[in-house]
Amino acid sequence: MEIGRILKRLDYVLLFAVLALTAIGITLIGSATHINLVSEDRYWYVQRQSMFAVLNLIFIFFSLRFDYRLLEDVSKRLYIFNLVMLLAVMFLGHSALGAQRWIQIGPVSIQPSEFSKIIMIVALSAFINARLDDLDSFWSWLPVFGYVLVPFLLVMKQPDLGTALVFAAILLGLMIICGFKKKFFARLFGIGVVSAPLLWMVLHDYQKMRLKVFLDPGLEPQGAGYHVIQSMIAIGSGMLSGKGLFLGTQSQLNFLPENHTDFIFAVAGEEFGFIGTTIILLLYLVVIYRGLNIAMNATDDFGTLLATGIVSMFVFHVLVNVGMTAGIMPVTGVPLPFMSYGVSSLTTNLVLIGLLLNINMRQQKLTFK
Amino acid sequence: MLNKKYAYRLELLMIASMVIFAVLIGRMAYLQLYKGDYYYRLSEGNRIRAVKILAPRGIIYDCNGEELVKNEPGFVVSLLRTNEKPDMAVINKLATIIEVPPEQILEKIKQNEDSYEPIRIKSNLSAAMVTKIEERSEDLPGILLEMQSIRKYVNNELAVHVLGYVGEVSEYEISKGQNTDLKAGSIVGKSGLERYYDNYLRGTDGSYREEVDVAGRVVQTLDELPPKPGQGLVLTVDAKLQREAEKIVDEHLKYLRSSGFAPKANAAAIVAIDPRNGAIKALVSRPGFNPNLFVNGISSKDWQTINDNPFDPMSNKVISGEYPPGSTFKIVTGSAALETGKVTPQEMIFDSGKHWLIPMGNAEGEALGWLNFHKALAASDNVYFYEIGNRVGIDVLKKYAAMFGFGKTTGIDLFGENEGIIASPEYKMKVFDEDWYLGDTFNAAIGQGFNLATPIQLAVMLSAVANNGDIYKPHLVDKIVNDDGSVVKEIKPEKVGRLPVSAETLELLQSALKAVAQEGGTAAQMANLSVPVAGKTGTAENPHGKDHGLFVGYAPADNPNLVVVAVIDQGGFGSVSAAPIVQRIFEYVFPPKQPAIVNTQKKQ
Repeated sequence: MEIGRILKRLDYVLLFAVLALTAIGITLIGSATHINLVSEDRYWYVQRQSMFAVLNLIFIFFSLRFDYRLLEDVSKRLYIFNLVMLLAVMFLGHSALGAQRWIQIGPVSIQPSEFSKIIMIVALSAFINARLDDLDSFWSWLPVFGYVLVPFLLVMKQPDLGTALVFAAILLGLMIICGFKKKFFARLFGIGVVSAPLLWMVLHDYQKMRLKVFLDPGLEPQGAGYHVIQSMIAIGSGMLSGKGLFLGTQSQLNFLPENHTDFIFAVAGEEFGFIGTTIILLLYLVVIYRGLNIAMNATDDFGTLLATGIVSMFVFHVLVNVGMTAGIMPVTGVPLPFMSYGVSSLTTNLVLIGLLLNINMRQQKLTFK
Repeated sequence: MLNKKYAYRLELLMIASMVIFAVLIGRMAYLQLYKGDYYYRLSEGNRIRAVKILAPRGIIYDCNGEELVKNEPGFVVSLLRTNEKPDMAVINKLATIIEVPPEQILEKIKQNEDSYEPIRIKSNLSAAMVTKIEERSEDLPGILLEMQSIRKYVNNELAVHVLGYVGEVSEYEISKGQNTDLKAGSIVGKSGLERYYDNYLRGTDGSYREEVDVAGRVVQTLDELPPKPGQGLVLTVDAKLQREAEKIVDEHLKYLRSSGFAPKANAAAIVAIDPRNGAIKALVSRPGFNPNLFVNGISSKDWQTINDNPFDPMSNKVISGEYPPGSTFKIVTGSAALETGKVTPQEMIFDSGKHWLIPMGNAEGEALGWLNFHKALAASDNVYFYEIGNRVGIDVLKKYAAMFGFGKTTGIDLFGENEGIIASPEYKMKVFDEDWYLGDTFNAAIGQGFNLATPIQLAVMLSAVANNGDIYKPHLVDKIVNDDGSVVKEIKPEKVGRLPVSAETLELLQSALKAVAQEGGTAAQMANLSVPVAGKTGTAENPHGKDHGLFVGYAPADNPNLVVVAVIDQGGFGSVSAAPIVQRIFEYVFPPKQPAIVNTQKKQ
């Protein structure tokens, strides 16, 4: 497709919402990493995040020339590559904060589990699309579950509970759009309840602690509960209009841990107040609305499945991350799309937006031209 | 088509998303609007503050148990940040107590205007000041007294390049992930053993939580996690010898400068090592600096003084200084020639003052006539070594240099060691893009030209000769101990290789090196010591100034237990600049048994 047509068929509403969220994110990362103070590396985080945002936008723009349907043909290979990559983390990765998630490539530490989210959406959509006609019984879904289970267990092993649950959320979204029956959901729920104790056993101690702390934040006020308490104080103390950029005492005084990554929303809450958090959440809702719209208008099932998977992932991320900072979800280390610092996460999210734009662009419009 | 058949399910997803977002916005409204005042007060007024208790770092002892580095309890007074302007009455009261002019305190506050951390006004408070501040704490809101353990280098500059110094970890270091368990404010080793053994020395910080009110006064302490003290180091270094060596070096450098012999002799590297196991007994690099200056953050004036010194006091020249090995390299050239049979110990070669192929000769142009190996090494004749170097050839010479430990780090337990350079046609082509000439081989044979070695490499090389061929890795730490004295880890001597020479060659080398320090050798002044000494002088050409002087020696010559290497930057002839330092160190270690009388009798 040539540039003129690409520009004409872009979903500008979606693009605007994503760019706005990214820009707000970079501003808050600056605040959280004390860009206003003099230090050796004050610009480091902001520079990297901005640089990768720009690089990704350029990449997306060029990728729009190619039809997303090409991905269906390579989906199996991507799936295998994903497994290899996850195994590689296990053997070659270096750990941070008790989890083995990073691989060093040159100057960049990449987090393969971020990129595996893209691959899972693509691979799972293609896998389901191939057997769409015989997915009417409960048992016919078993291969699909198995297809997700293998990478799911690999990321659990890292351990990265957050990403594993993202896979589950993507699957759930696809099940809904494929007409998975209500009674099937009931059956699945039953199996879940029975196997819950088993799941508890495979969780790491710190994960169990986080879940316990979620139920009772006073349990460990200096450890895991501390994050959530400080985060709630930060958000709450922002009141209606916030304390102003760079003026949030919770964030600036380092009461908030991980404030440029997982807890960036708390910085938003403290410095921009209720007005700010509402605008941010509405921007996410715009992204989701446009995404589902694209799913609705896609000209093939693969496009519908992709778009639905992408939207499910974003909903899950926002719910779990914002819920965590607001004390209504357990701490799982899921970043906030477009806003949390992290070049792997930013890249993944922007690439997925690129896919949405791609699907949108190839809808057959009933116009004569 | 899915999106036609199940369009209602996509709508369902949209509705579900809207519900989720309604819940999230509702939660925000609850936290920020309904409970906003409550949380605002929490953030503004009562804060729970986690305060770190720094673990005391491990103590560093010399080989006889003398404390070289320890910790001293200290107090620091800080001012808590508030949004209001500082209260002048409080500042004035504090100023009189800590004997600092109020303007200076205001200056400090101004400098840290952008920071929310407590501003450190003065550390290392005297006991009287601490008592006064405690007594009048009611009148001093916002003033905070904190305990801190202060690193103390007992002998100031002594062995600074061995010990190193500590400082606050930089944010850059944290972000680079070198020290994963560190936070801003942690004290880490920045150089020397403090850095190399940081993981042992540092220990684990503890913490306590306290509730503070708006003025920063502690309402109550909530809980405490005691720190785990760091582990100590017992060094191989002997503080008494180190002290003596530093004194000797400083005196001699001063003499060299004041006598006009070497006016720019400011930098030097001296290392004393036990050849039997690689244990370093003393290590001096000049110029030095006082590590205590760094402990509380170095003042810009002190930093400038150190930084402006052209002889780079911060660098440890024993491991990072790269000098042409000069004539000390003849040990390698000689071994290569003898081992490959290019020369026999008996063969006589004639020195007419110049080599017959290229007119290159001895430094002062003298001609020494017919020479065998023993005599040539003792008198450090250049023409003889040009000839045998040429017979051996640069490729074999390069191979031998590598086997003697040149061109690679020795593995000493310090960071910042340099590799040096082994002269070779490949090196010349790579760096200078020029062909190799015979003159280059001549230069390489006597340790000039492209060859570069660190003093520690020379020490390891000579140790192996002294120790009948066994090469040991040099080390500074003997064992790591807990704070109760129990041993955590013993560092065993590590044999890392063997010189590629036969027993006969070694014997010949040892006897020739012994002759260096006898009548007729280049270091004849050492003949009068209480034990026989073996060694080699060296003078390294320096294109940027006066030549560097070198001396490598060991004693007692027949049963050596100490190797000493001295390199004097721009010191001129090794026999004048470096040898006297080594001689005085040997005199200290092996004092004359019955002075005066024995000497005169021997002379007759």
